[in-house]
Amino acid sequence: MKRGILEKLTVWFSWAAGLTLLSAVSVLLGYLLLKGHEALNPALIFGETPPLRALLLRERVFDGLFPAVAGTLVLITLSIAWAIPVGISTGIYLAEYAGGRVKRALDAFFDVLAGIPSIVVGLFGFASAVFLHRHFSERIGPCLLISSIALSFLVLPYIIRTTQAALEGIPRDIRLTALALGATRLQNIFLVLLPKSLSGIMSGIVLAIGRCAEDTAVIMLTGAVASAGLPRSLLSQYEALPFHIYYISSQYSDPAELTRGYGASILLLFLCAALFSAAYGIRKGLTHFTLYRP
Amino acid sequence: MKNLREQAAERAFLLSALASCAITAGILVFMVLMGLPLLREGGFLALLLNSWEPYRGAFGVLPMVAGTLAISLLSLLVAFPLSLGCSFLTSGIAPKPLRGPLRRIIELMTGIPTVIYGFVGIFLLVPLIREFFRHGSGMCVLTAALVLGVMISPTMTLFFCDAFDRIPSSYLKAADALGAGRAQKLIHVMLPTAKKGILNGVILALGRAVGDTLIALMLAGNSARVPESVMDPARTLTAHIALVIAADYESPEFRSIFTCGVVLYLSTMVMTFLVRYLARRGEGNI
Amino acid sequence: MNHSADDTIKIRVSDLSFSYRNRPVLKNVTSDFAEKSITALTGPSGVGKSTFLMTLNRLWEDLPGASMEGKVKIRLQGRFRDIYDRSMAITELRKKVAMVFQSPNPLPMSIRKNVAFPLKLAGERDKGVICRKLEQALRMANLWDEVKDRLDDDARALSGGQQQRLCIARALILEPEVLLLDEPTSSLDRRSTAIIEELLTGLKERLTILVVSHYLEQVVRISDRVVEFADGSIVSG
Repeated sequence: MKRGILEKLTVWFSWAAGLTLLSAVSVLLGYLLLKGHEALNPALIFGETPPLRALLLRERVFDGLFPAVAGTLVLITLSIAWAIPVGISTGIYLAEYAGGRVKRALDAFFDVLAGIPSIVVGLFGFASAVFLHRHFSERIGPCLLISSIALSFLVLPYIIRTTQAALEGIPRDIRLTALALGATRLQNIFLVLLPKSLSGIMSGIVLAIGRCAEDTAVIMLTGAVASAGLPRSLLSQYEALPFHIYYISSQYSDPAELTRGYGASILLLFLCAALFSAAYGIRKGLTHFTLYRP
Repeated sequence: MKNLREQAAERAFLLSALASCAITAGILVFMVLMGLPLLREGGFLALLLNSWEPYRGAFGVLPMVAGTLAISLLSLLVAFPLSLGCSFLTSGIAPKPLRGPLRRIIELMTGIPTVIYGFVGIFLLVPLIREFFRHGSGMCVLTAALVLGVMISPTMTLFFCDAFDRIPSSYLKAADALGAGRAQKLIHVMLPTAKKGILNGVILALGRAVGDTLIALMLAGNSARVPESVMDPARTLTAHIALVIAADYESPEFRSIFTCGVVLYLSTMVMTFLVRYLARRGEGNI
Repeated sequence: MNHSADDTIKIRVSDLSFSYRNRPVLKNVTSDFAEKSITALTGPSGVGKSTFLMTLNRLWEDLPGASMEGKVKIRLQGRFRDIYDRSMAITELRKKVAMVFQSPNPLPMSIRKNVAFPLKLAGERDKGVICRKLEQALRMANLWDEVKDRLDDDARALSGGQQQRLCIARALILEPEVLLLDEPTSSLDRRSTAIIEELLTGLKERLTILVVSHYLEQVVRISDRVVEFADGSIVSG
């Protein structure tokens, strides 16, 4: 068949689109590296304080990202801790117990949850904080606890979906094997199905972690501030890396701080890239060694 | 005759599922409750259609609705051709060995944090736009839409690729057997078959664009007026929430952010249901 | 059809109808199956033979959209029991009526843990009992000599034929009275097939065996009775 004009245009268009997108993102990354590479040293994180003393919590870091990095790490840990039990249980219910209309209804709810803009979730968190402040205790306000719970709402759909998909993807024969040998439904779920779904569930969790690391909208409404030091308690305000970057963009006071902002961006980028690759690696890798128990 | 442990476990799983549903509904309910005083005063429709002039006592969110529409629709205009072209590449146009790596690069791109797009946008793109158009501060609908468009493109591309992946291989084999070239197979077989999936991807990406906060907040200028051209600054519903959150709890300005929240929630909910409806309709066909 | 005295009937199926997602699969199937024999079920693909097997150990109840009518009675521990009656616990039924699937599916564990898995499910903890039953089951499946020195190796490292015998051993460890096999040798080579056919022939002295099989020669080789399915019901045998 002769190659017509339409076909030639399509090929040209596709390559143009691909190159445009790739160059746009490359420009972004390149610019970041260009402006921020000089900030990439331990001082970026620890400022004037010697790293060891900072890590051992002996001395406060004033000029570095350490509090923000610590805040982000603590935030991620807490959010995932809330989200995992609820998310996995819900995924199990959807895949193994819910039938017909109930499943469709639940499905609809979680699709809606997944589509809610992050700022709206943040607003809910803020409103809850206000509500609790007025009706329960003066001590409660936007804080680490509220942020992590709000963030867990944000990533709940990820974990529900990946758990459900992983469980439903198990071939029928494997699903029936333990049952045919006299297993109860619960035994089947815990001894056969969950171990088999582990790689899918893990990669969902890692994606959720990535989402928690990069989110700014939820935390800016629920307790992240520009300067709070290391996270002191669940009910205190805290610093976080993405919020720090946002704050610098509008409030930087000198070129050094701006460069630190670029450095922070590179750091955040590496963190997210690492998490993303980990999720990918887990999906590909664990399927090879589906949890061998000798 | 299920034993106690089985029943308890099933109840526990059900409870989690119900809790997740409760959270979904609770978010909407809470926002309506918090915004109620303002709604009662003005009525929902009035709020939606009025301008934002707090000193005059008008707390309508029309300018923000306009801002959201302008920026998201324009960003779709940017993202759609980019994503379609990239999905063409990974699904047929690029030589076979390139397709996998290309797709993985695009997947990696979806992991780039939004705040970083905003950060680079402020310091790189805004001055460029300012110089190029010699108009305003550079923070406008155009700037935000450009960056937002680039940001949602990788996600949109992946949606399109999924739609192409779902085409039954028998169709593709038939096309090959008839001697169709790469582009011909794409245009005449794959595109028509995957139409629904592509529409799906567009709606989902629109949802992302509407829900974005940071890019609009950092790049669109935040003036609470209906933008009259792409070079005008604008404020989105999302940015409005972030900006006004610092106001006094009891003030009507503060309550207006709940109106925004409700509008945002309802619009993304409508889009979600639209996608589900289309998917159900298409169940019989591809 | 073998009409022996009622004493030797192991399974009695009356008016069994089965539909899946509103499509009828089995229609009014009625038949008796004698004990201590091998009955082969044949017929075209998709006619319902595997489904029929699943009605005998109620495995279909975990498939969404399936429904069944009719009666199935199996003589267990001397008494004829309606297996769909409330008094019969499904997990108990499946210990007496075991099933082996078409493709061997060892769990990701060692050989020992695979075969002993049903014991673990049933709550057996006595190591002595487990060891004894393990060896007994592997011997019945003609696999003991080949694996006795490497019981802790990964089960997935075994060859196809060995894996299938592993699955048979696993099904036998709870000492069932009925063994259901769904095309057990269709994914195996000729030599492995012969080994399994030989072991089934040996087993029939203790168990009632129903085998779904596509291969006419195999059917003729090992079975005492052939039941042919077509259009959702039994047409001969």
